[in-house]
Amino acid sequence: MPLLKLSHLRVSHGRVEALSDVSLVVEAGEIVALLGANGAGKTTTLRTISGLMRPDAGDVAFEGRSLVGLSPEMIVRAGIAHVPEGRRIFSGLTARENVLLGAANRPNLSRHAREAEADEVSALFPEIASFRDTLAWKLSGGQLQMVAVARGLMAKPKLLILDEPSLGLAPLIIQRVFDIIVEIRRRGTTVLLVEQNANMALSIADRGYVLETGRIVTSGCAAALGKNEAIKAAYLGQRAA
Amino acid sequence: MSALPQLIVAGIGMGSIYALVALGLVLIYRTTNVVNFAQGDFPMVGAFLLVICLFHAGMPYWAGILVALAGMAVFGGLFNLAVYYPLRNRSYLPVLISTLGASIFVQNTVLAAYGPQPANLPPLLPLRGFQVGGVFLDPQYLVIIVVSAALVLLQYLFFEKTYLGKKIQATAQDKETASLIGIPVRWMIMLTFVYSAVLGGVAGILVGPIMYFSIGMGTAIALKAFAATIIGGFGDIRGAILGGLGLGIIENLGAAYISVPYKDAFAFLVLFAFLMVLPQGIFGEKIAEKA
Ligand SMILES: Nc1ncnc2c1ncn2[C@@H]1O[C@H](COP(=O)(O)OP(=O)(O)OP(=O)(O)O)[C@@H](O)[C@H]1O
Ligand SMILES: [Mg+2]
Repeated sequence: MPLLKLSHLRVSHGRVEALSDVSLVVEAGEIVALLGANGAGKTTTLRTISGLMRPDAGDVAFEGRSLVGLSPEMIVRAGIAHVPEGRRIFSGLTARENVLLGAANRPNLSRHAREAEADEVSALFPEIASFRDTLAWKLSGGQLQMVAVARGLMAKPKLLILDEPSLGLAPLIIQRVFDIIVEIRRRGTTVLLVEQNANMALSIADRGYVLETGRIVTSGCAAALGKNEAIKAAYLGQRAA
Repeated sequence: MSALPQLIVAGIGMGSIYALVALGLVLIYRTTNVVNFAQGDFPMVGAFLLVICLFHAGMPYWAGILVALAGMAVFGGLFNLAVYYPLRNRSYLPVLISTLGASIFVQNTVLAAYGPQPANLPPLLPLRGFQVGGVFLDPQYLVIIVVSAALVLLQYLFFEKTYLGKKIQATAQDKETASLIGIPVRWMIMLTFVYSAVLGGVAGILVGPIMYFSIGMGTAIALKAFAATIIGGFGDIRGAILGGLGLGIIENLGAAYISVPYKDAFAFLVLFAFLMVLPQGIFGEKIAEKA
């Protein structure tokens, strides 16, 4: 049984159909990249998985159980943490407070255990220590992305979904974020990664799917997708590197 | 002027009442983006609940206060369910009108239950006024000031030091992301309404012994609480407190030295001056915090 299975999802924003037919599978232990140009429907797919949007048709199954109709709160409790597009860090709270709030899906955790877990997660991002008590609105994009991923990990998810973590970051920081994603998977968390930066995403992914105007048009192992010049030109919106 | 310290103490006392109601207003505004036009009715309901407990149910004062505040907690919860919750996904206008309607409904319910005659509460402490260094002090004002200060301190500790406080802050800042990380947003909003109603109830119970009140008492208090939040910077907690205290002092001094009949007008003169000169208020809303 796959960890996550989307079958024939159809989703609309009001009258605008954003997804017409999206099916994909994520096996436990994988990094799966979901690629596509601007407006292809990547964010909509992730928002449907995490319960922020309801599909008009089709199903989202996690560990064999349908998530359709569950609230985002219940879905993060079931083990899916969604690091949203634009990071969405609480700007009036400090970096540390944001990270600690990631454990809100487990209300029975003691304060002591929560602090200990935050220390453990923060060990992946030693740089957070230097700005942990800074209010988030003062942080840079790279710092915010670290906090966002750390907050996601605080949910102790089985599946971490990341929406364009490289957006707006300097190349060196992007490399750092991708190294962290690889490390997260090495520690046993499955990753579904949405990116416009296809080369970077495919360089760490096992498999990939390409989304174009609301449907999956191609999928395959990352190495093959990366070599496919036609796909790059047609669907990923970028020239071969 | 030996009356000055006394006027200032009384001003801080009344100002604390405005500040408590303004705090409730700001908390609800921050978590729901709704300006609650029934906020002034919270102290009215609290004061009448206590009147009923004391004079109709014959409870001792301390028990009456506990029951009245528990009643306010329930009232806040029901207010959320009836007035805000059904309209939570609508724009602010339907909700605003809903709070206006609620205000009328609540006032008329109390009118039907209690009648139009004004009521008054006995002093909380059985103390006569006393002199300190030649200044006459009414102990009820001191009770108001001490209780309000303690509440503000407790609230500060709650929001800054507890996980639940942080979850409510997160909900106020970004509800969608709050739900995404597993914060039960509905309950955070519920708690905010419950706490705001209790705050309002405390204000009503504190002010009851120093004035005769009737079902309309909330209107004047709400207007001043509203003015206080604008003077302080709308949506800012420190601003609500400072604005409330400032208004209380200014209107008391104005009444004593300029004109008694215009007492209520001073608050609005100050409000007007702020709107002209410093429309974003003392603590102005930081753009970065809204991002
Ligand atoms: N809130 C909305 N209301 C109406 N239409 C929307 C809304 N959000 C997205 N859409 C539309 O749905 C389609 C898919 O959008 P989506 O945000 O999922 O794309 P994306 O692949 O994440 O794009 P990007 O790379 O720009 O983030 C687009 O055509 C977009 O215009
Ligand atoms: Mg997107």
